Amino acid sequence: MAKLLIVDDEIDIREFARNYFKKRGIEVFTASGGGEALDVLNEEFPDLILLDVRMEEMTGVELLQKIREAGNPVKVIMVSGIEDEETINQAHSLGITGFIHKPLVLEELQKVVMKELQEEA
Amino acid sequence: MKTQNFSKKLDYKEALEAASRGMIMVHDPQLLIKMIIRMIVYRLKLRHAGMIIYSPEKKEYLLTISKGQTGHRIPQGFARFNQASPVIRVFSDPRFRPLFQNKHAILWHEMNKMIWQEGLLNGHGCNPEVRDILHQVSDQMDLLGVVACVPAIYHDKLLAVLLLGEKQSAEKFDTEELSFFGALASDTAMALRNAQLFDQLRSQAQHNHDLFLRMTMSLGAAIEVKDEYTRGHSEGVTRYSLAIAQEMLKDEKYPFDEKFMEDLYVAGTLHDIGKIGVPESILNKPGRLTPEEYALVKRHPVDGVAILKPLSELERSMAGIRYHHERYDGGGYPDGLKGDEIPIIAAIIAAADTFDAIVTQRPYRPSRTPQQAMEEILKNRGTQFHPEVVDALERVFRADKIIVVETLKREEE
Repeated sequence: MAKLLIVDDEIDIREFARNYFKKRGIEVFTASGGGEALDVLNEEFPDLILLDVRMEEMTGVELLQKIREAGNPVKVIMVSGIEDEETINQAHSLGITGFIHKPLVLEELQKVVMKELQEEA
Repeated sequence: MKTQNFSKKLDYKEALEAASRGMIMVHDPQLLIKMIIRMIVYRLKLRHAGMIIYSPEKKEYLLTISKGQTGHRIPQGFARFNQASPVIRVFSDPRFRPLFQNKHAILWHEMNKMIWQEGLLNGHGCNPEVRDILHQVSDQMDLLGVVACVPAIYHDKLLAVLLLGEKQSAEKFDTEELSFFGALASDTAMALRNAQLFDQLRSQAQHNHDLFLRMTMSLGAAIEVKDEYTRGHSEGVTRYSLAIAQEMLKDEKYPFDEKFMEDLYVAGTLHDIGKIGVPESILNKPGRLTPEEYALVKRHPVDGVAILKPLSELERSMAGIRYHHERYDGGGYPDGLKGDEIPIIAAIIAAADTFDAIVTQRPYRPSRTPQQAMEEILKNRGTQFHPEVVDALERVFRADKIIVVETLKREEE
């Protein structure tokens, strides 16, 4: 079963996305911040991460940097409400699969996620 | 069970009436919709409910309101729905209208039945495209955890969709509940439409109004170009006038509203516009004016009103322009009005005008200090100037920094 990790500090988004993708037959893990996400990554090997950019404890880009520093090439899709050019460039330079802006079209998100997970399988 | 149903019925009636009443009154229906959705979730014990609302700027539907249990509730501000989204398509395309016309809603548990039952769509049931869209709607509702979608349509335009999650008891919605949702949605549509119209009107009015104020300023600039010694004068007069009026507001006798302040702004800016008709040689003459020349200068309040007459928007400011050279004792021009016959807007401008004239250098004399200007005006309190206007100016002068700023500005130049 394909594995998806959702990192977002908003519980509503985490839980909604978990249910949403579970219905698509995906095994979903969630983390409310960078620390928790790194813990999950130590134990599980998700095929894809949906990563929120703006988070309290550690920003999405900072987390991405830590993941890459650890030599983990996992696919990452950034999700963000802000349209900050610099953040987007920084994320791209660290290697991401996509950048999705909130508010997002759920079907489009789903399409991207399914495509990436299928490629993985 | 019976009594419960009865009380439920009353709740709806009450809520619906309150909703319609409120919807008509508010210009921003979002807050009200939020309250109603919260109430629906709470009273009917739904897992969640939300409303996607059309945004005319984004030309898309945004899920702006969402209430209910975490995990079921769709995160607010997270999702948008474009024209290609199945739930939007199904309610925008008239072919699907027979599907929900009677029940006011598309119900998920009937969806599958509908897709397979041919003929349900007035003969469109066998159309593969239609069937495909219905599949997508069903799929989308499933993913969103939504068991009923209620469209808010106004004049064939889909303005919003109410999304309803399942009841915690997993019971289905009854006819009464569905007709309540239908009525609620149509009220919502009307309220949203009104709000949009109101916004459009407001921004259009705002635009016109800005244009009007800018035109006032350029008219004011016209006279300043011609009369170099009064450059900045209109602005100074306007500033002092507004400060005086603000001070007078503290007295219940002068309940100036925002409109008055704006009229005062316009009148202050344009009070000397009639000087456009006075030859520059007279305006900038260093020596004393001859009686004939003075007579020409004295025409400017009347000429000003004549120049501005075609602009009906300026009507309320006219008094400030025409009568700003009247004297409280009746010795002024053009009409020799006396005391309270002089409109207060003109009495304010008169004092501000003199104040600024004294502190400004003129062709025939150097400028004097604000202190001297204040003394001069106090000396003429009740003769040349309205006593209460003078009192207000004095209070402003003693307390306010505006005048110091003006002095500094002039010193810099």
